Amino acid sequence: MLTLNIIRYDICGQICPSTLLTALQVINEYSQQLSDGEVKIAFKTDNRDAISTIPESAANMGYPVTVTKGDGYYLIEISGAEE
Amino acid sequence: MTVAPYPLIMIICLVVGYLAGISMHRSDYCMAGMFRDLFLFKRTFMLRTLVLLVLSSMILFEVARLIGFLPLYPFPLLYSPTLANIVGGMLFGLGMVLAGGCVVGTLYKMGAGSVLSTVAFAGLILGSFFYAEIHPWWAAFIKSTTFFTGRITLPQILGVSPFILIFPVAALGMFLVLRWKNEGKLVRPSAAEGYLQPWKAALFLSVLGLTSYVLIGMPLGLTSSYAKLSGYIGSIFFRDHIASLAYYQAIPLKYVHPLTNTYLQGGGGPRFDAISAMQFPLVAGIILGSMSSAVALREFHLYYKLPLKQYVSAFSGGIIMGLASRMAPTCNVWHLMGGLPILATSSMLFLAGLLPGAWLGSKLMVHVVLRR
Repeated sequence: MLTLNIIRYDICGQICPSTLLTALQVINEYSQQLSDGEVKIAFKTDNRDAISTIPESAANMGYPVTVTKGDGYYLIEISGAEE
Repeated sequence: MTVAPYPLIMIICLVVGYLAGISMHRSDYCMAGMFRDLFLFKRTFMLRTLVLLVLSSMILFEVARLIGFLPLYPFPLLYSPTLANIVGGMLFGLGMVLAGGCVVGTLYKMGAGSVLSTVAFAGLILGSFFYAEIHPWWAAFIKSTTFFTGRITLPQILGVSPFILIFPVAALGMFLVLRWKNEGKLVRPSAAEGYLQPWKAALFLSVLGLTSYVLIGMPLGLTSSYAKLSGYIGSIFFRDHIASLAYYQAIPLKYVHPLTNTYLQGGGGPRFDAISAMQFPLVAGIILGSMSSAVALREFHLYYKLPLKQYVSAFSGGIIMGLASRMAPTCNVWHLMGGLPILATSSMLFLAGLLPGAWLGSKLMVHVVLRR
């Protein structure tokens, strides 16, 4: 069984549209590994707009997304397959 | 009974600003983002709610005018169309995208703890000061490129009653909005705590705009206060120079406040006047409203370890936007929530300039600022 590699990005406080742009670039970069279930990508953001747009974009590309709230930020996790 | 106008105006504007700040933070109502995302991601979700905001304001203003609640129509500080509207709009569009928020977006983001927006705010003030330096030259340009002198709105230019044009535009627009609503294009899911659907924020903001128009005599405006701040800060360092600049001496606002029937005046100079009474409480209200919303949601947090390029972008975007706010003259809030709803031609030209400006800003943002 493959070990799930979690790729983390902290984009808190960054200028718009850095959040969505970074997310889209990273998802594309790791699309193969995501589809193979080798990696999971976690974005830490405080951008309320991105909490809608990142999950929507990832879902449109077919990746399951979970959002959890932390202290002063949201954690958006994108994985390649349903867990 | 006579009521002192300034305390009344200040309280109204503070409350309006506070409510606007909360709703903008909850829905992340970023107008700069709406135009930027149109060009960058072909996303039109938020822009649709801006269409609703303009249409809703249009209908509310027209109803208020018909029942006699708007004695000042068109409202003060709205002028005949000039080429400056397009040029200023373009610079404004560029500046707001680079700054990561427009003149009001910068405020609510700053209130929620954004360090970059605070930097953009400093840029806005510096840009306003730069404008004061070029004012005589730019005022001459405005004067020489003004057309339809004496006429401000499209109905005035065409010589018809506002209703004749506003009714079909509003009806067609609302037909479009209702279609979006039925197709589910006005709502979106969000995991953000306390999320306010942006279409609700749009309707609420249009009500706040009407409140300001009826109670203050004009819709929401805030950028003259940035010029005033630049004058106050500039006076600390070079008092004589600031006092000598024509822009800071001018008093463009002269009107009778409808609610108290008092003659008031104001300008961009560093002194307390009607503009101070309206705009400083509005600015403070927006920041406080957004801050209390962010604190209540436990989302207020200062992140400052950010790429230098983003600081440069926010500051230079702020400077460009501050300069453009005076060159256009005035900002997106004034034109899109005030002028456009009464079909002011200067506001239409501002929007025509804003679009290519925002396009250019989006290109720079992706290829320079955020280049990995």
